Amino acid sequence: MTKEKKLSITIDNRTVEVRPHLTILEAARTHNIYIPSLCAMEHLPSYGACRLCVVEVDGLRGFPTSCTTPVEDGMVIRTDTGEIRTLRQEVLKLLLSEHPASCLFCTEQDECKDYQGTIRKAGVITGCRYCPNDTRCELQQVTERIGLTETSYPVYYRNFPVEKNDPFYDRDYNLCILCGRCVRVCNSVRLNGTLSFKQRGKITTVGPAFDRTHLEAGCEFCGACVTVCPTGALSTKTSKWYGKPDKEVATTCVYCPVGCTLKLQVRKSEVLDVLPDYNSALDHGFICVKGRFAVPEYVHSSFRIPVPQRITPLGYNDISWDEAIAEAAERLAGVKPDSFLMMVSPQLTNEDLFVAQQFARQIIGSDQIGSPLLYDLGADTGPFVNLVSQSSAFDVIDDAEAVLAIGFDSTYDYAPIGIGTKKAAQRGAVLVTINSCDTNLDMLSEMAFTCGTEKWSALVGLLTGASAQGAAPLFPTWKKDIAGIQGIFKKSTRKVIIAGPGLLAAPQRTEIIEKLLKVKEKGGWDIIVAHPYSNLKGMLAMGAFHGIKTGAIINENGQAEGVKGDLSKFDLTKGCTVIYAVGVSDLDSLPDCDYLIYQNALPSESQRRPDLLLPAALFTESSGTVINGEGRILPVNKAVEPYRSAKPDWWILNAIGERIKKGVMKYAQVQSVQKEIAKTIKGFPGVKKRLEFSRIDVKMKTPKGAPKMRKQGQFNYRGIPLEAVVKGMKAIEERIELISGSNRGAI
Amino acid sequence: MPKKIDAILTQYGRKQDELIPVLQGVQKEYGYISPDSVSMISRYLRISENQIFGVSSFYAQFRFTEPGRHSIKVCLGTACHVQGGATLLDMLERGLAVECGETTPDKRFDLERVACLGCCALSPVVQMDQDIYSRMTVNKLTELLKIYE
Ligand code: SF4
Ligand code: SF4
Ligand code: FES
Repeated sequence: MTKEKKLSITIDNRTVEVRPHLTILEAARTHNIYIPSLCAMEHLPSYGACRLCVVEVDGLRGFPTSCTTPVEDGMVIRTDTGEIRTLRQEVLKLLLSEHPASCLFCTEQDECKDYQGTIRKAGVITGCRYCPNDTRCELQQVTERIGLTETSYPVYYRNFPVEKNDPFYDRDYNLCILCGRCVRVCNSVRLNGTLSFKQRGKITTVGPAFDRTHLEAGCEFCGACVTVCPTGALSTKTSKWYGKPDKEVATTCVYCPVGCTLKLQVRKSEVLDVLPDYNSALDHGFICVKGRFAVPEYVHSSFRIPVPQRITPLGYNDISWDEAIAEAAERLAGVKPDSFLMMVSPQLTNEDLFVAQQFARQIIGSDQIGSPLLYDLGADTGPFVNLVSQSSAFDVIDDAEAVLAIGFDSTYDYAPIGIGTKKAAQRGAVLVTINSCDTNLDMLSEMAFTCGTEKWSALVGLLTGASAQGAAPLFPTWKKDIAGIQGIFKKSTRKVIIAGPGLLAAPQRTEIIEKLLKVKEKGGWDIIVAHPYSNLKGMLAMGAFHGIKTGAIINENGQAEGVKGDLSKFDLTKGCTVIYAVGVSDLDSLPDCDYLIYQNALPSESQRRPDLLLPAALFTESSGTVINGEGRILPVNKAVEPYRSAKPDWWILNAIGERIKKGVMKYAQVQSVQKEIAKTIKGFPGVKKRLEFSRIDVKMKTPKGAPKMRKQGQFNYRGIPLEAVVKGMKAIEERIELISGSNRGAI
Repeated sequence: MPKKIDAILTQYGRKQDELIPVLQGVQKEYGYISPDSVSMISRYLRISENQIFGVSSFYAQFRFTEPGRHSIKVCLGTACHVQGGATLLDMLERGLAVECGETTPDKRFDLERVACLGCCALSPVVQMDQDIYSRMTVNKLTELLKIYE
């Protein structure tokens, strides 16, 4: 690219240099010159609806809107003349003639605030302190900057019914100023298309077709519209009356392997809300419903285990940490290595997983480390982790010529990958989908193959050219389509396969995985795996996996031969003396044992009752790292103190370990754990580039006792279905059930 | 039925700018734009159903409910208004139990108002389907409705 020449412009008598292709408003902002605006917003296409950003430009007639006028070399701009100020005030008055405005103009605002703090929860918003957006409202801020203190027009109340029928957010279009930010973010940024202006004139509102709810209309509940709305028209159900947060903590979402940046909105010891980070290079702020709306209700659930508890014939008794640690240590000391089982969740942090494997191997001397993967995937665990270890960076989609999405739908998860795919299709990449029901990518696809999971393997073989054996007769009606796609795939050089969670529900999943790896080997194809086991790469890297040592799978210089694992003797039916379950909550599937330790944040829904409950801190309450699906080490940052007596997983493991065998772990802080990890994984956790993973060849049969295709809730965290604690997720699950009628893959 | 909409769609290119012509074509054929048509158009033109609805609801020419068998248009132009057009409309709204702009539940009548039918000398006028009835009264109108089954 040739270097672009800077332009020189004069704003309010200041001559400044600016980059070309900016609007006047953007140019002014880069030089800290304030121009009021309500509809313009960074990352959204210009629209020019509110007319507040008017300026004067020499040589241009009238008052152009600065958000839609591009800068030109030598432009002379005035942003703040008397005439402009009057004009803006007039425009704002007109705008406020349809917006309840007592919060803006009442002279008793400040006094009132002290008295009426408790009577906020009105059904209908009349302005004033009854608006959920009060004190966080851009309209209030702009009115103040423009200096409008009274209005000469009566307020027309449009009397639209308040819309509360959807999960997660409410809508009161009586407060809407029709700035169109929500419409643009939904269509141009999220590429979703749920929102549109409806009708015209004074009955204009924003919403989906006919009288459909957002849920029915295909809304992702990404909350982007709520984030950008400058007024109180759109508000988050759970946090609307909470007012302003006092700090923001950036962290990484642990709900899936994408690892989006989340900006936790914190007040005192509470996470009130979560916002996306539009400047994140990894996810561009494209977080999904889980990151946006499913964090506060989970981490502040009233079902959290408050203190350590011991089972008695009469139920659970609260005990102190000291007693709990002593009891666990006593039961574990001298346990035979092969009658011990450590079960860990792939959704723990690296630090927790590292300490867990160290606990099993060095304290107990056992390599019996399992995870729920074994139950979900049985003998297919090996091929699956191999596929995951060879997955590519997510940005390969950005310049792909062809994308094949298998069992993948990004409505409610993996949003950055889904939006990347839609963008690719819009710029001309050929998108092909294979699924058993309609997906949100079908509309932009060249071809959507909708067929039963039992046919996927044959179809994948045909389309990618991995193998055509006996497959063609299965698809008599698609003969031409298949030939067409084969031709396109053959010609393209940069191709991406997205293996979605639906793949895990296909009966021939191993066969499909083998085909995918085969075509990847031949070249031309990259693979992205969208699966529900958030920190699976971290689990493999830390060696929290039977037969794999810490760091062994990291392939630093591409020299390693590959790692061999052996799960062929792993037995999930054999009775144990002690089972230690960390973040794993399906206890009924575990083998019998004399003593069961359950370490988690929420109680298990299983029938079986553990002997000892240890309350674990969650990812908002302790720091650490995870490794995302593309191999990047991402930080998980503590935002609030742990709930009641809860402690980080590594802390609990360390404490019990120290009690059994002094001097092995001795971790006082998470940093000391990281230092230990850095001994095997160089630079940990400061590595900026993607970690390359070796091929992994796990010898295995279906571990004894692994139920195949166990059906479980769709979205789980640490074994607990999100819908059990996050109210709105229930509606989402029901919607998925309705559309797919099938299981999209389990964890 | 669905065969027909395919036939309409394929007359147009699969480009977003074809939306208005497509909508006009569909409305001409069916008299209105149903949720099913919107869904087919969405797939064909690759625009979300919600966006299609947004665009089409902006224009008064598109309707989203099946039209009644007969249309009643009450003129509320200046002359008709002065001569009692509003009373006629009011009587129809109460008698048919619908609001202006709606269709009766038995799909017999669409009730609408128009600004001027251009025959002010005959006011107040009511248009039934294609026919104009002049110097209407509440009584005459009641009798008239009986003719239209
Ligand atoms: S939540 Fe997301 S998908 Fe739903 S309407 Fe808002 S922006 Fe669109
Ligand atoms: S709902 Fe909010 S963002 Fe959407 S148009 Fe109205 S004021 Fe703007
Ligand atoms: S910000 Fe320019 S018109 Fe709204």
